[in-house]
Amino acid sequence: MSSESAEPTEGAKVTGPDEPVNPPGPGRRSFLRGMVGGVAGGVVVGGIAGAATGHAYGASGTGTDPAAAANLAELEGRLPAVPFHGKHQAGILPQPKAATAVISFNATAESRAELTELFQTVTDRARFLTAGGTPPPVGIGGPSSDSGTLGPTVIPDGLTVTFGVGPTLFDDRYGLASRLPAHLTPMKSFPNDNLDPAQCGGDLILQLTAGHEDVVLHALRDIAKNARGGMQANWRIDGFSSPARPAGTVPRNQLGFMDGIANPSVENPKELNELVWVQPGAAGEPSWTAGGSYFVVRLIRMFVEFWDRVDVYEQQLMFGRYRDSGYPLDAQGIYATPDYAADPTGDVIPLTAHMRLANPRTLQTASSRILRRAWSYDRGLDQVGDLDVGLVFTCYQQDIKRQFETVQTRLINEPLVDYISPFGGGYFLALPGVVDNSDYFGRALLA
Amino acid sequence: MRTRGLLAAAASAVFAAAVTACGSSPPPSSSSSTAISFNDAACGSAWHLARPGWHTFEITNRADNGAEVDLTNPANGAVYDELENIGPGTTAPMSLDVGSGKYAFLCLVQDFDPVTGPTVTVSGHTAGTAAILPITYNDLYSLDKEYGQYTESGLQILARDTTRLAADVRGRNLAAAKREWLTAHLQYETLGAAYDAFGTYDDEIDGRADAVGVNSPKWTGFYRLEYGLWHGQSVHELIGVADTLNLDVHKLLGWWPGQQIPLLDIGLRTHEILENALEFQLTGHDDYGSGTTLATTLANIQGTRYLLSLLHPLLVPRYPQLPEVYTGLSLLQSLLEKERLGNGWWVPVSSLPTAARQQIDAACGQVLQELAPIASIAEPRNTAHEF
Repeated sequence: MSSESAEPTEGAKVTGPDEPVNPPGPGRRSFLRGMVGGVAGGVVVGGIAGAATGHAYGASGTGTDPAAAANLAELEGRLPAVPFHGKHQAGILPQPKAATAVISFNATAESRAELTELFQTVTDRARFLTAGGTPPPVGIGGPSSDSGTLGPTVIPDGLTVTFGVGPTLFDDRYGLASRLPAHLTPMKSFPNDNLDPAQCGGDLILQLTAGHEDVVLHALRDIAKNARGGMQANWRIDGFSSPARPAGTVPRNQLGFMDGIANPSVENPKELNELVWVQPGAAGEPSWTAGGSYFVVRLIRMFVEFWDRVDVYEQQLMFGRYRDSGYPLDAQGIYATPDYAADPTGDVIPLTAHMRLANPRTLQTASSRILRRAWSYDRGLDQVGDLDVGLVFTCYQQDIKRQFETVQTRLINEPLVDYISPFGGGYFLALPGVVDNSDYFGRALLA
Repeated sequence: MRTRGLLAAAASAVFAAAVTACGSSPPPSSSSSTAISFNDAACGSAWHLARPGWHTFEITNRADNGAEVDLTNPANGAVYDELENIGPGTTAPMSLDVGSGKYAFLCLVQDFDPVTGPTVTVSGHTAGTAAILPITYNDLYSLDKEYGQYTESGLQILARDTTRLAADVRGRNLAAAKREWLTAHLQYETLGAAYDAFGTYDDEIDGRADAVGVNSPKWTGFYRLEYGLWHGQSVHELIGVADTLNLDVHKLLGWWPGQQIPLLDIGLRTHEILENALEFQLTGHDDYGSGTTLATTLANIQGTRYLLSLLHPLLVPRYPQLPEVYTGLSLLQSLLEKERLGNGWWVPVSSLPTAARQQIDAACGQVLQELAPIASIAEPRNTAHEF
């Protein structure tokens, strides 16, 4: 389940690749103005003669100062705002934050124009929510524009909004068939998968990540409300990422092992261009995908009761690492590179160990590395009273077949499969970033 | 989203222009606030705003009774914002985007005549929170009366329906009874705004089994009969159920004249009827066997439309998105009507293909968003001239 790479990065703090901080300007029109712009241009009295008043929706974010919101956030022990604008979406490279939600939607917009409006609305809301600020007052014209769950001022708390498209969006509904990304297919079912169609796929994918659950949920409510008629949720999973324990190491998953130790360097543009960012022109990749990244989501149940009945020595052989320290079984140091060449028969690190199969660390397998981002999920209980917990596995890459599927194929029948069961997820393309106030998600796709 | 009105786009443009002209308005946290206090004889003193923008008024009630304070345009009584139920001795904030224009507070202290404060002019050419002409109790009385009559005629039709229904059951013609059940139930479901006004009759006529269970003798009404008709219960058992329903409907019909729907409910029900449809019909919760919850939703739309037709003249000048409400209702209606089967029955919600169900749910959610502001706009308000 994890990708190992030759160039580990330790807890790189990345808040977005190279985008300038753009001040929020007047927002775009809204997909739905019913509840906020409701009184816009109503019986206009007292205002300027003849001028329609009230805020069109995106204006929510305009009356405020994001810098002030960020300062406030820091005072409250929350994360500062992550700049929304950039060539790539800002939620792709950063290390997992404490709370996340992944929601799949189907588009219900009735036309290409409405779909465009939907993408603009998601953009507007993401721009406001990630910057933070005070939602506009509505007077007596309708219900509040904001749920109020974060108090009167929306705190960014490091929120990132990652928006992507699935292969089904490219059917005949919106005339997008000819623009299908070259490597976007329905999610493959691997031999040990147990996929539930109700928790797979979707026209659209939204991942919200922030420092706290309330911020994630607030953002989800806001976006869903504003996009109500244009998309309908299919499935959803919430996840959390734990603090590294001991401090300075790597967060653990619910099997007790550190998760995602080795990853391509998010600070090495060359590596990112080779492994993460889509390269238009290559292999029939349409030009609109420039700046995007293929996004794989896999929902993986972990049978933790069963796992807890396995002795630690055997668990370590399955992963190839020490549970407590995270060190490879043959090395001293979390980020030390295991020396598989010195252990050709797997006497120290079994040939079937998860990390050895996932990333054999050879020249030939280097191009199959993925940028792995994982959260734990906790959904209560199953039918026999065991804990329904597991992993929200996500990864980014340039080519799903060359990367995720190749890694996953190597992992078929690894010893770990007895303790896990992939049951949902999908393949998506995380859209190119929104570069400035006049840009919106999927503009090149929908143009 | 269904139709993008030109007006909204215009509003957006004007707002954008305003922002460009003045720079970004400061957030409330950094904007000045103004203290306003009032009692039963005086409603605040003159205040001054250096420039238009977001502003908070800290309003203190120095009267001995509870009070409501409105910020109005003194020229015509239109309301920018309001604070209801300010207790004696307490202070409450009113935050709004104060645009260029004329303002006066109106203080409505319980048991005292309303008092209007000094008129304040905010100069410049910047739009702010829009003022809306209040809808008054007087505006709503006649509508309420009309609605009462609509309900009475509806109940008369319903009573004829349930009479036939009870007769069909007594005549052991269960196929006819099922058809008559649907007709009668849909008729009842068009009277949405009246539910609360029906008191316990509504529980008796259209109650769910949730609280008591499907085997409880306390469960009566349409859903009880539906459950029996579609679960093969004996005619002997069903006769009692159908007769009770018919009797309860006739009792309601006899009781109704002279009853009144609370004025506040007229606006509220414009979205609440469909909120209920989303919660109980589109989820399939209220499907006790007939699979007709989509038809019920259509009946609920009919009830919603009737309410809107009453409010329409009041809403037109106050709610520019009103056309989108009608477009949204029509879209939902057309999606639902696609699920009507040739034999007069309906595709049960649980059998809908995912895409069709998502279209319906999305359309319902969307129109609910668009209906929601009507409750605020149509809330009956006191004015300086009518108290």
